[in-house]
Amino acid sequence: MTTNGSVPAVGLGYRSAIDDWTRANLDRFDVLEITVDHCIHAGAAQRAAIFDLVGRVPLTAHGVGLSIGTDAPLDVAYLDRVAAVVERLEAPAYSEHLAFTRVPGRDLANLLPLPKTEAVAEQIVAKVRAVQSRVPVPFLLENITYVFEWPDSKLSDAEFLNLICRESGAGLLLDVENVFLNASNHGFNPYAFLDDLSAGLVREVHMAGGVTVREEPSGRPFLADSHSHPVPDAALDLLAYALGRHRPSVVILERDDRLDAVDEVLDDLARIRACVASAQLGKRHGEPVAGSAS
Amino acid sequence: MANRLLDRQARLLAYLTSGAAIFGEEGVAADPLLGIDPALLHLEARFSHEKRMEKISAAFPKTLQMLGANRAAVIRGFVEACPPSDISRLANARQFHEFLLARWQDEAPEPAHLPDVAACEVACATVRAGADEAPQEEGGTRAPPFGIRRHPGVVLLRCRHDVRPIFEQDSQAVPVRRDTPLAVVMPPGAHGVQVMELLPVVFDLLSALGDWTDPATFGSAPEASVLIRDLIEHGLVEGVR
Repeated sequence: MTTNGSVPAVGLGYRSAIDDWTRANLDRFDVLEITVDHCIHAGAAQRAAIFDLVGRVPLTAHGVGLSIGTDAPLDVAYLDRVAAVVERLEAPAYSEHLAFTRVPGRDLANLLPLPKTEAVAEQIVAKVRAVQSRVPVPFLLENITYVFEWPDSKLSDAEFLNLICRESGAGLLLDVENVFLNASNHGFNPYAFLDDLSAGLVREVHMAGGVTVREEPSGRPFLADSHSHPVPDAALDLLAYALGRHRPSVVILERDDRLDAVDEVLDDLARIRACVASAQLGKRHGEPVAGSAS
Repeated sequence: MANRLLDRQARLLAYLTSGAAIFGEEGVAADPLLGIDPALLHLEARFSHEKRMEKISAAFPKTLQMLGANRAAVIRGFVEACPPSDISRLANARQFHEFLLARWQDEAPEPAHLPDVAACEVACATVRAGADEAPQEEGGTRAPPFGIRRHPGVVLLRCRHDVRPIFEQDSQAVPVRRDTPLAVVMPPGAHGVQVMELLPVVFDLLSALGDWTDPATFGSAPEASVLIRDLIEHGLVEGVR
């Protein structure tokens, strides 16, 4: 799903709260990302509004409810509902977070990290294969933002993602904002992370803007992935750098809060498009793109 | 076995959903088996709790406002008694409502009309989510060739106070104490949920119309046809001809 075979399609994560506005501006999006869980849990009217978009604009499918990282069997009934939604949306791919959100009887509804070990990677690979067997489109895993790390993590973020994707055949939905936040919060070089990702791994990209909160009691600033504010320039620099090394087919802007600030949404889309165009120009002329791992 | 990932994940979620982690109580240590910085766990717990409370606040803006000075204690009690078990807004709203009902068994609600307001708000959330609007093929009774039934998206409530002014005017309105049969409904073409008072006889009729019913059951009087047509127009009844 690219605009002309090589330039990534740029679009927005669909939210029913701005359905009217989205429809009125449909020509501004190359693609809309549909959260499959909204189709599964929404009422009939909301579901109908989403399915009404089929054929009007290309759609891609994203999930938040799988909890692939929970060390328990996958919910195959849920996966079958996802498969039905993906088919109905005519989506070319289905993505989910490399995370866990729940254990039996308790659902935090918030993405939590996994211990980055080879043993956990092996478990995830088996789960990815189960997903691939039930949802017949390419499956992508998304890197999350995290507040804490498990003490027994042995692999870096990139090593963990590379290992799981290589062994399972999953692609990567690269959330650039999450890379930016994690690098800031945990003190690593985001460009080095992008360099360390295996070539060709990134199939789709997420962009967003968050807020700064104060960690208590230290008062240390902590960046939170709130999807509420404009994409920071530093994240756009990372996108440009990523586009120099990977060929995603889709770049999606995620916005979940302050949705009435639609001018910010349009401005972010314009900035992302400019970044994509600049990266394409750089590729054509063999020029280096912004940022540096050094 | 204690090191199995699922056990560690369960311990982590138990801690992250606890009052100690969410409210950052000093002197209460995080589960040492997790080996994670307690300050970071507190931050994670707070983020997750705030997301959950956003869902609940969206469903209960008036109830939470009317809880006033009790609000913090009620939320604290809710956290301790009801760990999150579902991602959806409606499930969290219903969980909070059930908690309030249980609490009000032991502790008289203040003000007295608060249970009616909370019942209306959870009904509005239910109607808004279209949770009861199951497609024909997914369950319920298959539609006959003709007939009427209560619209599956309608919630009927019998309140002890007429709380409509609180929803129609402002939260400070003092409702009159009287038995008030209400329907919470999304009328056709409406953009928002409406809370409407029903005549007791209409309330009873709608209560009895859970299944598809032949309208001839109500006789051939023109008044019956007019009533049914009126109920259909208001989105309270659906009909198949």
